[in-house]
Amino acid sequence: MAIDLRDVCFAYPGAPETSILNIKQWTVAGNEHIFVHGASGSGKSTLLNLLSGILSSSGGEVAVLGQRLDKMNAYQRDRFRANHIGYVFQQFNLIPYLGAVDNIQIASQFSKQKKSARLSADIENLLSRLNISRADWHKPSAKLSIGQQQRVAIARALINQPELLIADEPTSALDQPNSDNFMSLLMSLAKEHDITLLFVSHDMSLSRYFDRVDALSEINQSEASSPCL
Amino acid sequence: MFVKLAVKSLLNRKGSALLTLLAMSVSIFVLLGVEHIRTQSKDSFANTVSGVDLIVGARTSSLNLLLYSVFRVGSPSNNISWQSFQAIAANPKVAWAIPISLGDSHKGYRVLGTTADYFQHFSYGKQHKLRFAQGQAFEQVFDVVLGAEVAHQLGYHLGDKLVLAHGIATTSFALHDDKPFQVVGILAPTVTPVDQTVHVSLAGIEAIHKNWQQGGATPSPSSITAGMVGLKSRMATFAVQREINNYRQEPLLAILPGVALSELWQMMGLLENTLRLISVLVLVAALLGLSAMLLASIREREREIQLLRVIGAPPWFLFLLIELEAVLISSLSIVCGATLLYLSLISLGDVLTLQFGLHVSANIFSIHSVYLLLLVILATLIAAAIPSLQAYRNRFNN
Repeated sequence: MAIDLRDVCFAYPGAPETSILNIKQWTVAGNEHIFVHGASGSGKSTLLNLLSGILSSSGGEVAVLGQRLDKMNAYQRDRFRANHIGYVFQQFNLIPYLGAVDNIQIASQFSKQKKSARLSADIENLLSRLNISRADWHKPSAKLSIGQQQRVAIARALINQPELLIADEPTSALDQPNSDNFMSLLMSLAKEHDITLLFVSHDMSLSRYFDRVDALSEINQSEASSPCL
Repeated sequence: MFVKLAVKSLLNRKGSALLTLLAMSVSIFVLLGVEHIRTQSKDSFANTVSGVDLIVGARTSSLNLLLYSVFRVGSPSNNISWQSFQAIAANPKVAWAIPISLGDSHKGYRVLGTTADYFQHFSYGKQHKLRFAQGQAFEQVFDVVLGAEVAHQLGYHLGDKLVLAHGIATTSFALHDDKPFQVVGILAPTVTPVDQTVHVSLAGIEAIHKNWQQGGATPSPSSITAGMVGLKSRMATFAVQREINNYRQEPLLAILPGVALSELWQMMGLLENTLRLISVLVLVAALLGLSAMLLASIREREREIQLLRVIGAPPWFLFLLIELEAVLISSLSIVCGATLLYLSLISLGDVLTLQFGLHVSANIFSIHSVYLLLLVILATLIAAAIPSLQAYRNRFNN
């Protein structure tokens, strides 16, 4: 199982009476490509932050790639995230004043994966594979187009060879051709690298790329003003 | 990569980083400058005179007498008569007495009229005697012995002729140019006001003023500015001092150079501490500015911090990143401030020497200043702890 959630509940420490997330059971198999449909405010970011270990659950079992995040301390969760999870956001995926190559290198900095000479070869392969022309590799990423930035973000997310890739509305800042281009690159790379892909979006038209489609409203059974037990 | 991130992040905020750098550089300049001049002046003052038991002059404050007789700062209030000086020199407890006659200048350097005994008895630092780099003491009326710096700055060599002026301004109208003097000796450097002094015999001084032509009889001086006295026994110091202070024929003042120096320290101590306090406050202001700049940057870089957290940066990494940015700025400021100070000392050193009699070396690095700079770095770390903590506990870290 790539993801296995049981009786997971989350409420912000400031408001323990109001649970944001309440999941009885939800699993994602290894190498599955799953589309989770959710409107904003449905607990989407909270779910993704729990899965990546940025937030810790108020109760329940959070197992990702066979490891119990709810039993780890903050430092272990940071390490786990760096080593096993790739993340692509809607926007602001890159440090604006660093170039593509530096952005990717920084990501590898925090993981225990290879620090050898192979790293720069891997970065070059990924960037070429994602159609970023060599002239743009060292430009400050703020100077790249949004489409280029999102593709560099895929490279950044994949550099540590993660087993799980989380994409949070990665195409919503892109126009249609760029979005199609992004989706096809993302899907084929996920296949090539045998990665479990968790894709969250409010845009149902993207669900055609996926073999499994879940609605967050069905996963999350939290009701307004119900506390975590 | 860590350093690269900090450097590029600062470069990305060039404007505010540069202004902060400037503020820090100025404060480092002030701090180092005050400390440097403070220690240097103390050293150079303390090393100026030694082996002289009493300084005798006209009645004035002991500090004033010390300043004009030894440091050639300020103007003598009055002269003492040659007879009185002779009487002191004849005192059985006195081993030697050197007359000093001031009031003339050569191209901005003070002219000191004295006797050949000066070169034998006057000492500086830790009992160093004056030493001739070239030539010997004056013998003739129109012989002159130059301090090391005078010879160096004005490019004089043995045998050169020079003209002495009445008064102490660099350009004086009363040039005694009908009586050229000849360089017969150049002293080795002492790092005291001696280096900036032109030495002639008392007869030479009289000759300038009395329009006296070479070849006649040696005129004897009617009065001198002050005298330095060495005693046969240190035990007699206070007795001789009392005798001189109670001298009937003329109001005289005898001071112990060490006592007067410590009086000078006391007076300077207040000034020193005020200067130090101001330089520390300037530094504190600059550090607060640095802290404020970084704190504002944290707000501006919230998403960047969030991104770093997501790709696996632990909170302490963010803490260290901000601290590193602060240390980068303050280290660079130290380099800029120190360079600025060094260049200023090189270019203004002569002005300090001529105007204030302060001989300040351009070598600003001592153990003391290294400690001071380490303290600056430590203070930077403390001041940057506020924004660094802010980065550490940003809302993304729960």
